[in-house]
Amino acid sequence: MTEFEPDILTFCCNWCSYAGADLAGVSRLQYPTNSRIIRVMCSSRIEPIHILEAFKEGTDGILVTGCHIGDCHYIEGNVHTDERMKEMVDALEHLGLGQRLHLEWVSAAEGKKFQETITDFVEKIRALGPNPLKHKGVEE
Amino acid sequence: MTITSSNIQLCYQCGKCTAICPVRRVIKTSPRNTIYLNNVYRTTSDDIWNCLTCGLCYDGCPQGVDYPEFIKEVRDSNENGDIAHKGVFTLISDLMADLDESKTSLEEVGNNDSKIGYYPGCLDFHDMFFELDVDFKSIADSSVKLLKSIDQDPKLIQMKCCGHDQLWQGDKGTFEKLKEQNTRLIKESGIEKLVTSCAECYRTLSLDYDLPIEVVHISQVLKDADLGIDSGIKVTYHDACRLGRHMGEYDAPRDTLANAGSEVVEMKHNRNDAWCCGVSSMMNCDDKSKALRKARLDEAKATNAEVLITTCPKCLAHLNCMKDEQESVEQYDYDIKDLTVFLAGQMGGK
Repeated sequence: MTEFEPDILTFCCNWCSYAGADLAGVSRLQYPTNSRIIRVMCSSRIEPIHILEAFKEGTDGILVTGCHIGDCHYIEGNVHTDERMKEMVDALEHLGLGQRLHLEWVSAAEGKKFQETITDFVEKIRALGPNPLKHKGVEE
Repeated sequence: MTITSSNIQLCYQCGKCTAICPVRRVIKTSPRNTIYLNNVYRTTSDDIWNCLTCGLCYDGCPQGVDYPEFIKEVRDSNENGDIAHKGVFTLISDLMADLDESKTSLEEVGNNDSKIGYYPGCLDFHDMFFELDVDFKSIADSSVKLLKSIDQDPKLIQMKCCGHDQLWQGDKGTFEKLKEQNTRLIKESGIEKLVTSCAECYRTLSLDYDLPIEVVHISQVLKDADLGIDSGIKVTYHDACRLGRHMGEYDAPRDTLANAGSEVVEMKHNRNDAWCCGVSSMMNCDDKSKALRKARLDEAKATNAEVLITTCPKCLAHLNCMKDEQESVEQYDYDIKDLTVFLAGQMGGK
């Protein structure tokens, strides 16, 4: 049996964390390839329904990244993200998926932090095991 | 023609249902025509998604046609209509059906050996996804407090969602899954009586489940109890469709309030004529059903009551939401509260 490789979904905001991911790339920082990055204009674009739908389709973990508080391109978008993700973690806790969502602020200058965040999160999910919905989803 | 549980083929097209329908006040919809299309042409129209399943038409029908039941059947396996909050509540319940670990409440309170169970329903999720100045969780806390005060110390039952919304949104498959798991959980818990504070849970657990135990709404437990409250506050009561017309329970909440010393004044449309809040089973929250909520708020205002009491978290959420929305246009000088929160508030620190 092959080792479990988690599927991670990473949301990056256009202005900070996507540039942070770029910096990690051009700096040739190595990080696991389990993550797929989706670029959104602001981290507050991510709605509860997106997170739930992704879990339903079988993703093992979701990482939401955005600008640091105070640095948001849209002034206070990430404040809303912060509130919303706290509620989402609570909701997922009720569903038994609480550990699988993580929010991290990554600025455009923090390539190193982006690398570390992804590495840590992948390891955490690897230890947790696959999403219980994975084999009930659309894959088969 | 086969006989169905909804008696749909008995319809003789008098049109009373269309005349009485609350949705008809705001959009062009016709229960009579929907029945006609089904009986004669075996087709459906978009009208099946406009229905609030409030049960007013069933109440008025001379032939006893159960239109909500018919809607429930016909929605099954049909493409969904408009679901409020982008379907986040529906999706949560869908996930719950497939996740063994999931439950609607993480709290473990109450007496574990008790034969009386209390099921809070999806109150926790209401708190998370409604940006309202309403503490939904306090309904659960208040219910436990009230039950304790009359020596019926309950055990909080950690179940999954009751599946009410799935059933009425036409997803019977998910409902059956939830029903099976919940029935098992209730049997394992060893309780003999299950108390709910939500009208929708009460309806679903009593009528759509086959439980070996007694299911009661909290107002039915409290109606004869002496809570030691004498508030003298003037209140009006909004009949939730699930508790009123679906389950026929009009007196228990009123008796409970009267016992607690409140003066209950009635709105123009009350008891079996009561208007709907417009969003049963998280569907059709739009400008049309908002007109219905506005009309309901105006009726409550005309009574000069201090508090508008309801027994369903969805009525509570949506009437409060409408009240907030109208703030800049119209002042509603009353609070909208759940029955249990209102009573527990009167009890004070006891």
